[in-house]
Amino acid sequence: MMAGERNPASCHLDERTFRLCCQLFLQHSETIQDGWSWEQIKGTDEGFIKKTVLIPVKASVLHKQHECSMQDENTVTDDIQANVEDETAGVQAVCEIHAVLRYEYHILYSCSYQIPVLYFRASTLDGRPLALEEVWSNVHPNYRQRLQQGPWDTLTQQEHPLLGQPFFMLHPCRTEEFMKPALDLAQAENKRVNYIVTWLSVVGPVVGLDVPLSYSTEVSAPD
Amino acid sequence: MSDNAESPTENQKDDPSIQHTATEHTGASDEKKKIDVLLKAVGDTPIMKTKKWSVERGRTVQSLAQFISRFLKLEPSEQLFIYVNQSFAPSPDQEVGALFECFGSDGKLVLHYCKSQAWG
Repeated sequence: MMAGERNPASCHLDERTFRLCCQLFLQHSETIQDGWSWEQIKGTDEGFIKKTVLIPVKASVLHKQHECSMQDENTVTDDIQANVEDETAGVQAVCEIHAVLRYEYHILYSCSYQIPVLYFRASTLDGRPLALEEVWSNVHPNYRQRLQQGPWDTLTQQEHPLLGQPFFMLHPCRTEEFMKPALDLAQAENKRVNYIVTWLSVVGPVVGLDVPLSYSTEVSAPD
Repeated sequence: MSDNAESPTENQKDDPSIQHTATEHTGASDEKKKIDVLLKAVGDTPIMKTKKWSVERGRTVQSLAQFISRFLKLEPSEQLFIYVNQSFAPSPDQEVGALFECFGSDGKLVLHYCKSQAWG
């Protein structure tokens, strides 16, 4: 069981446990150089953890900005290696295939929901922020259809509660849905989990964030 | 544990990389390419009649999830969550072979699966 009270029906997390889980999470991140860091808001005791990644994507994701109707879909491959080696492709083709996006992920604690919430923003390398449709096309196909069928907006644009800048947010209302099985399962096996590790392993891949397997075995639950 | 007679209607022709453990007549080379997976339902998720499967190492979690979803006849709006080590959700693109290396014990990989509630 995690520190702090949790009855089997509740998937909530108190703020202290959130911080402890983050600390343990960050320790492992440092060990494997996974790039997460704690950001403290100056003058407060509030903070969050964040990570920035560069993600290569297909040009079709940014088709509105890179107008090239000549580019046949069939010639745009996932094999970036092949395109690099194709000298005849020309700089224009390489630029379109090699679109790289900058994703910045923040994990904040939500006092109102009493759970962590994932915020992120995405931009091209030259600083152009991505629109919601572009972000949607980067949602993993495994989740895209179902999330788009939801009766409410799962992926929304929100003001970052601590920074005040526009971010995308994965709505926390579904958290209980996937946390409950994992937490009940762990409880049944008398196993303690790190809430952040379990939670992030589910929400992360939805928006392109990979959580290495070692987090599962190497990060302990807070006492 | 698995038994052909339990699931006479399932069509395995679509998924040659996933087979009943019991029907495996494998040579040595096949055994290296496949790993044994034990599927366990969580909560009130339907239990699969056949729980033990031989799965190709290269099969992804997403592919396996789709297989289970079809098997359980889930609605498109229902999401299947898969957990390894009880409490960790592997990335959809993760290969089961890698999971087996990390979490396999007694020659098998235990995966828990859970169906999300349908909307409505």
